[in-house]
Amino acid sequence: MTDTPHTDGAAESETGSSRTDGGTRVRYDVPDTAPTDDRDLSTRLVDSLPSAPRAARYAIAIGIALLWLVPLIGLFMASVRPLSEIIQGWWTFENLTITFENYEQAWNYESGPMRQALVNTAIVTIPAVLAVTLLGTMIAYPFARFDFPLKTFLFFLLIIVMAAPPELVAMGNYNTLQDTGLFDTYMGLILVHIGWGMGWVVMFLRNYLLGLPKELEEAARVDGASRYQIFKSIVLPYSAPALVSVAVIQFTWVWNSFFFPLVFMRSQENKLAPQVLPLMKGRLQIDWGLVAAGSVLTMIVPVLLFIVLQRYYKKGMVAAVAD
Amino acid sequence: MSLENDPDGWFDRDVDWEKLKAILVFMVPGLTLFAIFSVYPMVYSVGGSFWVWDAFDPMHFVGLDIWVETFQDEAVINWDNIKELEYPMGALPQNLIWMVIHVPLSTFLGLGLALLFSDLRGRRILRSMVFLAFTTPTVVIGLVLLFVYDPQAGIFNELLRTIGLEGQVRNWLQEPQLSMYALILGGVWVQTGFSMLLYSSALAGIDPSLLESARVDGASRYRRFRDIIWPLVKPVTAVVVIMGMIWVLRIFAIVYAAGGPSGGPNGVYSVLGLEVYQSAFSHPIEYGRAMVVALVELFIALPMAYYIARMD
Repeated sequence: MTDTPHTDGAAESETGSSRTDGGTRVRYDVPDTAPTDDRDLSTRLVDSLPSAPRAARYAIAIGIALLWLVPLIGLFMASVRPLSEIIQGWWTFENLTITFENYEQAWNYESGPMRQALVNTAIVTIPAVLAVTLLGTMIAYPFARFDFPLKTFLFFLLIIVMAAPPELVAMGNYNTLQDTGLFDTYMGLILVHIGWGMGWVVMFLRNYLLGLPKELEEAARVDGASRYQIFKSIVLPYSAPALVSVAVIQFTWVWNSFFFPLVFMRSQENKLAPQVLPLMKGRLQIDWGLVAAGSVLTMIVPVLLFIVLQRYYKKGMVAAVAD
Repeated sequence: MSLENDPDGWFDRDVDWEKLKAILVFMVPGLTLFAIFSVYPMVYSVGGSFWVWDAFDPMHFVGLDIWVETFQDEAVINWDNIKELEYPMGALPQNLIWMVIHVPLSTFLGLGLALLFSDLRGRRILRSMVFLAFTTPTVVIGLVLLFVYDPQAGIFNELLRTIGLEGQVRNWLQEPQLSMYALILGGVWVQTGFSMLLYSSALAGIDPSLLESARVDGASRYRRFRDIIWPLVKPVTAVVVIMGMIWVLRIFAIVYAAGGPSGGPNGVYSVLGLEVYQSAFSHPIEYGRAMVVALVELFIALPMAYYIARMD
């Protein structure tokens, strides 16, 4: 674990990798004529290769990153191979058979088919995320801009919910949903997710809005815009990046969440995808292929979302906790 | 805390009904749901922990009886086994042991990886590879661990065989005295990505010329780390540690998927969350006990909440 690797000045500047993460970028003036390089090709190649200690660091870094992926690679391999081969070890490649039978089985799994479970997960996740993002912004805006009675009290409540375990609200919500007939319904679970996500969403957006300059809003106010117009045409558009971050992170959490569906969704046709996975283990010999295929189907959505919207995801993760 | 965000009073000059109405219109819809589905059930648990319950209905007030009973319950704290340092020690000590091992490991590994990747080409891809497990559903993580530690099909045991430790091959999640650590290792695998991400962003804020001049002045690697890097990433460490503790406190799906609702054979890796679920939603239903255990979790979380509030 080293901090600066600049042990190889010449090669470094050739490869241009001396730029450090987020650091200042050096601008070069563009010369009129192309620079003449008096070195021949082989010297240039050798120079552009990283020096030995740096190469070792690359090797270690790539090795560790791959090591981190091994369990997930194993999961993927198991999902496309028959059980007899998985038992021999997914890392062996003699008589490799690629099959989609596991996916077919998971898709039609009798005590909770994935085709239904994934749809259920989407039905719960999408409205829950959209609602908490919109309602959370609406709370965060006055929080960041105005003073009102009980503000400090509310602030502490939101933070306590941020840190509290979800089990703490399970019993009360169970009875509430039973009493209102919302138990074992999409709507019930959606409402629980909205209420529970509000804590961190409001805190996150409040911090973001505090960092936005007020001048625009003030100018619009002077021009006679109503507070609702200001919210709609200034606050919402300007906080778009933060809203995307919140939505992406909240989507991953709600999609992946296991405890709330386990408690509030009981009938087979209402089960969410994460809930079905432990059932796939079966009794005696675990059908690894089935479990793996179900797992891949469940995780594919949040993982793709992460890969596509990585920038927002990472920014949000860092900002959510680090400011 | 900076709750006075309007020092010049521009928005306050018109303390009027119009403004108050606007605040209400903005806040009431969201706060209603927050109150019904987050605040009310928390208060409900606090109150309910002093009552005897008939399944899901409160019967009569008993004061601290359920609290006392819960703390004498072996599934929560098993004093005899704690003295012998033998699992199962009960969900509370096990949850705390998890925290004590998991948090430092994932924090230092995350810092290490952040430093290792900090100026390599392709660091974004490397970081994403390490971070990927954190975006995976925790229930999948539990099943993956079950798979990794399987005596036959698991790659961990294959690794042992390859390095010549055939004698150590076993189902690591069925070994009462070892399986806790096997699971903690899995938790560290997941959370390192998160702490690495936070450290990476903190490291990105360090001026490279500062490090460069320190190097020219002949400061050793250790000195450069101690005098330049560490002071700048220290605040992040506090956040990483707190988030790690909250993460461990909320652990549920990993343990459930790997060892069922009982938390492994005899509950050797049961945690507080599982204990709440067991008491509240499997027979016999003990709602009061579930509330007490959930409140114990809250008490552990409160200092962290206080710290988050202070940071603001």
